[in-house]
Order: sequence, then structure tokens, then C-alpha cells
Amino acid sequence: MDRQPFVKRKTAISYKTEEKTVVRGYDVSDLAEAGYTFYDMLFILFQNRIPAENEKDMLRYETGEFLEHSMSPSAASAIAVIGGRPNLPAAVSAAVMTFGSAHGPGAAHGYMMHKYIERARIEGKSLEEMGKILVDEYMDAGLAVMGMGQPQHLDGDPRAEPTHIKHEQLCSGVYLALQRSIEKHFNARRKKEGKAYVSVNMIGAGNTALAELGFSPNAAWCIGCVCRGFSCAAHATYTMKKGRAWAASKREPMVQMLDLSMIKYVGPPDREVPGQAERQEYARKQKEEGEYKKWTI
Amino acid sequence: MDNLDDPRLNYNYRTRERGTVPPDEKRDRFQWVSEVAYKNVHRIVARGYDTTELVEQGYGLTDMLFIDFQSRIPLIEEDQMLNYVMVVMLEDGLSSPAAIARTVASGKTILTQAAGSSILAFGHAYGAYQAFGRILDGILGRQAKGGKPLAEVVEAVVKEKLDDPALGISGLMLKDPAAKRMIARAEKLGVAGKYVALVKEMVTAAQRLSKEPVDIDLLGATGAVMFDLGFTPEAAWGILAVTRAFATGAHYCEEVEREAPVRLGQTLTPKEWYDGPEDRPVPTLEERKSVAKCMEAQTPEEWKQTFLERQKISGSGWAIVEEIDDPRRKI
Repeated sequence: MDRQPFVKRKTAISYKTEEKTVVRGYDVSDLAEAGYTFYDMLFILFQNRIPAENEKDMLRYETGEFLEHSMSPSAASAIAVIGGRPNLPAAVSAAVMTFGSAHGPGAAHGYMMHKYIERARIEGKSLEEMGKILVDEYMDAGLAVMGMGQPQHLDGDPRAEPTHIKHEQLCSGVYLALQRSIEKHFNARRKKEGKAYVSVNMIGAGNTALAELGFSPNAAWCIGCVCRGFSCAAHATYTMKKGRAWAASKREPMVQMLDLSMIKYVGPPDREVPGQAERQEYARKQKEEGEYKKWTI
Repeated sequence: MDNLDDPRLNYNYRTRERGTVPPDEKRDRFQWVSEVAYKNVHRIVARGYDTTELVEQGYGLTDMLFIDFQSRIPLIEEDQMLNYVMVVMLEDGLSSPAAIARTVASGKTILTQAAGSSILAFGHAYGAYQAFGRILDGILGRQAKGGKPLAEVVEAVVKEKLDDPALGISGLMLKDPAAKRMIARAEKLGVAGKYVALVKEMVTAAQRLSKEPVDIDLLGATGAVMFDLGFTPEAAWGILAVTRAFATGAHYCEEVEREAPVRLGQTLTPKEWYDGPEDRPVPTLEERKSVAKCMEAQTPEEWKQTFLERQKISGSGWAIVEEIDDPRRKI
């Protein structure tokens, strides 16, 4: 049996022999036997260190609340993919891949914080001052301030503020100071502009805590997004076992997700398909008229 | 000219209705139906428990997995055991998920693409929890239905599946004690049940039947323990594939940190690795008429001939033969 890896790489993460699997120097079986938890493992994996108890508690809190978020792009994609009844991992994989610039943009928020903490250091400003600078720069440029607002939880994500409070209790530091300042100045400016109050979201709260715990922007993003993969696996499994494949059955008492009546078409009206004899002239005229550009995506 | 006026069509294609289907007023409107979770503007609720209240009470990710998949709060020992399994499962060196994540990372992608794609490595050989569960449930089902002694059913199944990568028993962990330690821990914590007992029986049978030394492997240990913790084969499949994906995020990071991105057209394939047809001239479109011939079979005998010919073409897929359910099968 060939036991050589597909890719040849130097790696500082782990090695595996016939005798053991070792992560950052620790035998994983020994870690499990000693009673270390999955939360500890994430610190060892990404940070090469065993966390303090309070850090582990904060990560347990965060991953616990990150895991399930009911109807969101990730769960929706898991359910849509499993409709075709592929292997379950295909649906879970798709769910994790929904996380991008709108759904859980954790890495970008982390990089934003690093940039402004570094500026505070270089420019000799406090984090409180730097929060206002950040808000003004983003809002002056017409950019969204990351970490604020959630499209479903309009009066505040139920997880966000409790996360901040837990963060204060367990591991408060520079990230939380900057984030709190951002929230304060963001809403002060909105108030001045006659706009409604907007609460911190789980990127602003959760990612700030992960950064404080020492996770890089990408590691924090990984933890948040992959964590959601667990509940998406549950949603996909539920749909696989108790839902209708294809999601279009007319026999169900409720209109299904992919019922034909769900389609609202707003594209060009139905038109004759040109024959090949007239195709070249038709295509030339269509290109010249340029009406198609209205529909080009 | 097209075939849309062909009289064999059992409808008049030209006069078929155009336009979208109007909303269906006779049935309930479409809604997101779930037994797992809901949320409103103020709360997120999984299996009846407010998730923020759960974490405030000290529950964490591993507890949430029992809640989402089993609709229950786990015993402390069960939570400890799940942590144990996930600690061991998180990292597996440069195995398939890490290789996929690194390959995806090399295209200068984002982390979620790499970590998400790594989950696709879990199939019916690597991390074959669904297939493994079916083997175990199949044994228990056959035993219950046929009334034969369990050892007899185990012997028959193990003999048939000795080389099956989903058996959970192999030569992979003869020197690594991690799988056996996991089983011992499950027994010590009092969470081992019928699946651990069954897999131990299977190991005994396999060791008797196999010419090569074999023992319980990581699939066998983690699978049996997860099933005894109450997770279905599908739940175990999903949970442990996602567990592994956390570590592939680290592999993504390391690949980006240490290696240069790979461009389109950059990767070469050495000719020494190639064992296909010799280099040959491309026929002109005129020559094509004499060079190309149709392959359609007109009789089952011809079909068999072409089938066997096609199996010789590596990469065509014809040499892959997958078993599908036989509707005549009784059990």
C-alpha cells in the first residue's frame, strides 16, 4: 500500500508515521488521553501553544455560538446541494465555501484591525482615537465599516453583545478596545447624520475575540466558517433523511423550493430562434443594435 | 431544419405554452422547514434551546453537535469522548484533505475555498463513515432478522469485505496505538456500546481470516465510538469531515506563507510518466472521414465487445465498475 503523500511539502504543522501522528510536537493520542479538548487543539494547531484556561473557555463559548445560525447562505446552499442527493460531504463543502466578502467576512475585518492598531502605534494615537479615524475614513470613502449590522437581526445580533461581555470577562485587550471605539464612533456619526442605530455583528464581536485570543485573520476566519459547517451538515442530513429529493414535488402540501411557480423571469421576452441560414445576419444586427448589453452580466 | 415537427412527438411543440408558471395558490407557500433550528430577529434557537443561553451556561461546540444532530444535551462523559475523537481527528498530516486544500490554495484562492474543498476528500474509502456504518448496521440487521449467532454473521461479512477500505480494520495502525487507546477510553468512560463491541468482534474475525496482520484502524475506532455516542453514520461523516477541515485551514495558511502560487499552464507533466498512445499526426478534417468510425453497438454482444475495448482506455471511466442496489435483493 502506497502511504506517500500526494504533495511533497516541508511543513511545520504535523507529521505522521506508522507509530503516531504529531501536531506541533505533541502526539495527538497523548493529547486526547491527557484530557485536552478540541478547543485546546485549535490553539496548538494554529498558534503552536497550549492555551490558558480562560482562553480555552472563550473559544468554547465562541465556537458554540458560531455553530448554528439557522437560515443563512451557508445552510441554504447545503440544503440546495443535497437536493440532488450527492454524497453528504459535497453539501457541507459547498456550505463552507459560501463564506466570502458578505457572509462572515472575518479575515478582512482582522486585517482592518491590524492596520489601524499598527497606525495607532506608529502615529502615537490611542485606540480610542484610532477607532474614530477608522470610522471617518471608511464612511468618508463610502465604504461599509466591517463588523457592523446584520440583515436579519435588525435590532442586534443576539450573540454579539454577549460575546463582547464574555470577551471583557475573559481576555480583554487591544482588539476589543479598538472595536468598542469603532462601534461608539460609528453610531455617533450615524446619529449626527440622522440615521438609525446599528449594532455590532458577529464579525465585529466574534472575530475581535478570536483576534484577541491570538488567531490570525485567516485562522479566525477558518474557525468561524468551518464551525458553521457542522450545523450545515445537520441541515443537509435532515433534508436528506426527511425532505424531498429535488425539492419540486407537486405531492407535497407545501410549495417546494424548486417548484416551477417559484420562478419569476425578468429577462428578454420569448423570441424566435433564428435558423442557421439567417444566423450570421441576425447576429451581426443584434451586435450592432447593442440592446443585448442591457442584459450582459 | 429540426425535429420539432416530427410526428413521433406526442405533443405539438410549436403551440406549447410559453411564460412562467403562476404562483401556486392551492398549496401552502414555500417556507424554510426545519427540525434543527430557527431564528428570528432576536434569537437563534437550535432544537428548542436558545444558542446564546447555551453558551452563557457553559455549553460549547461539542455540546452543540449533540444538540443539532441528536436534539439532546450530552452526558459529561459523552462530551469528553467526543472531544477525544475530535482531538485525534483534527490533523492527519499531508493526507488527502490537506493535499486538496494546498492545491486549491496554490491557485491564490481564499481560505474558505480551500477548507471547504478539503471536505470533499471524505468518500467511501477516506473517512468512509457512511459506508462503515452501513456495514455495521447491516451485520446487526442480518443477525436480528436471521437469528443466526452474531459471530457467524460477523465472520461472513468480514470474509467478504476483508479488503474493503470501509471495514475499519486494516494494516494501517499496527504500530500506532491511537485507535486502540480510543476504544479503551470509550470503555473507561462508560460510553462504549454495541458498536464498539461489534467492531471488536469484527477485529477478532479479521485477524483469524486475514493472511496479513490487521487491527482496528482510525475509521473503525472513531466510527464505532461516534455511533455509540448516538451519531448516525451520516452525522459522523459530516462532523468528522468538518473537524478535519479546521486543520486544512492551517495547511492553506502554510501553503500561502511558504510556497509561490501556481499559474495556469505552469505545471508540467513529464513524458516519462505518460503511457498513452505514441505521438501521432492530427488528421485533416478531410482525412477524418476515413479515420473516424462510429462505435455504436447494435446488439448486446457488440456492446460487450466495445465495453471490453473501452475498459482498456485509461481515464475513460469504463474500467470503474460500481455496484448499485439490486432490486431482487431480499435483505
